[in-house]
Amino acid sequence: MIAVVCASIVAGCASKPPKSEPDARAVFKENNDRLEPFNRAMFGVDQALDAVIIRPISWTYREVVPAPARRGVTNFLRNLRTPITFANDLLQGEVKRAGFTLGRFLINTTAGIGGLSDVAADRGLPYHYEDFGQTLAVWGVKEQTYLYVPILGPTGIRDGFGLAVDNFGFDPVTWYTYADNPQWVNWAYFGALLVDLKSGTMEATDELKKSSIDYYAALRSAYQQNRAKEIRNGAPPPIEEIDGEDPFAKNSDPSQTATSTVQ
Amino acid sequence: MIHRRSAIGTAAAALFVGRAMAQTGDTPTVAIQKFAAAGITDILSAKITQREKTTRFRGLFKTFFDIPAIGRFVLGRFARATSADDMAKFQALFEDVVVYTWTRRFGEYDGQTLSVRDSVPDGDEGAIVNSAIVGKDGQSLAVAWRTRKRATGHQIVDVIIEGVSMAITYRNEYATVIQQNGGMSGLLAQLKKQVDELAAKLDS
Repeated sequence: MIAVVCASIVAGCASKPPKSEPDARAVFKENNDRLEPFNRAMFGVDQALDAVIIRPISWTYREVVPAPARRGVTNFLRNLRTPITFANDLLQGEVKRAGFTLGRFLINTTAGIGGLSDVAADRGLPYHYEDFGQTLAVWGVKEQTYLYVPILGPTGIRDGFGLAVDNFGFDPVTWYTYADNPQWVNWAYFGALLVDLKSGTMEATDELKKSSIDYYAALRSAYQQNRAKEIRNGAPPPIEEIDGEDPFAKNSDPSQTATSTVQ
Repeated sequence: MIHRRSAIGTAAAALFVGRAMAQTGDTPTVAIQKFAAAGITDILSAKITQREKTTRFRGLFKTFFDIPAIGRFVLGRFARATSADDMAKFQALFEDVVVYTWTRRFGEYDGQTLSVRDSVPDGDEGAIVNSAIVGKDGQSLAVAWRTRKRATGHQIVDVIIEGVSMAITYRNEYATVIQQNGGMSGLLAQLKKQVDELAAKLDS
């Protein structure tokens, strides 16, 4: 898969560091970004588009539309997309969670006025989201590589494929347009999803941008961690031991366990 | 006049830090609650200048966080080959980065509170304390604190917001900078530049 992508993007792949550089190899493995040069170029395109189109729209939306109304839009879109989460709950064998998803849909569509209000969350059925990328992860498919797509933002080969499956297979708006209905509905829906997503994450990404020296790398790490949390269904992250020890241990003096050197 | 003001400021800071030097807490949960309470009362809600808030926060941060342990974790495998001199430079710059980036947003504080949910054991005599920052509108943000037991009580070694760990994000970012932008000296130079820019904005 990677080879195919690389072949189509000349010099877009990062080369794996040689065995003589174990630290470099470890970083390469951890970042899981085999298309880094290509991705950084796409990230540049994305940031330019963001500055002139997406951010002004999202910013205006945040300024003009009051918070309760924006929350209504978020709730409505989440409710509309219930089939995606429901199908993936089932595909992951999470029957109980699928039941929660169905319960939420019934309560929010009726008592929540067509999904505008998330009354189910107040009744002990909090929102959760599943997608086909997460399902593949549960099935044991590892993320091949990180992938940055302009406008859509950070994703991966596996997760991008999952997005396509969700879109064509489980998304009710796609079903609607399959039935000879006007295409603009799809575009309006995509636009709404994008503005909802960007206006919701704007604060966090702005903060990350200001606190980092390599925003691309910081965003990649944050995305990968958030994604891992979604796949674990919110469980606390396991701590990775370094040389079989707690990396935060009291006397974890790295000079005592020197095994390699960095140039 | 300026002299007198800064003298008062220094005295107040010393008093504040002195108070915070006490035990952080006998349990991880108590440590987090004490940290949040001190932060809200003495810094976020206090009618003091931004510079004063920064000074106070640095004191609080040093007491409640094990900054050297975080710094070592952030450098990860690169810490082994870093000289003691560079390590000290890195620790100082890293502390500045966190202090300045956190204090920059203190002006946005709007009555949020921290509610601790539970605490689960983690690593070597440590815990993950799960909490939520709750706003006036009832919206909440999940924040988990990783703590470790130290001589002065339980100290924080990581903050995890919506599954994203501060320590891991910095570690991955800095590893990439070290790899691609001139090793440890490249990282130190970029951090120095960032700290200078953040410090310059402090008074604006």
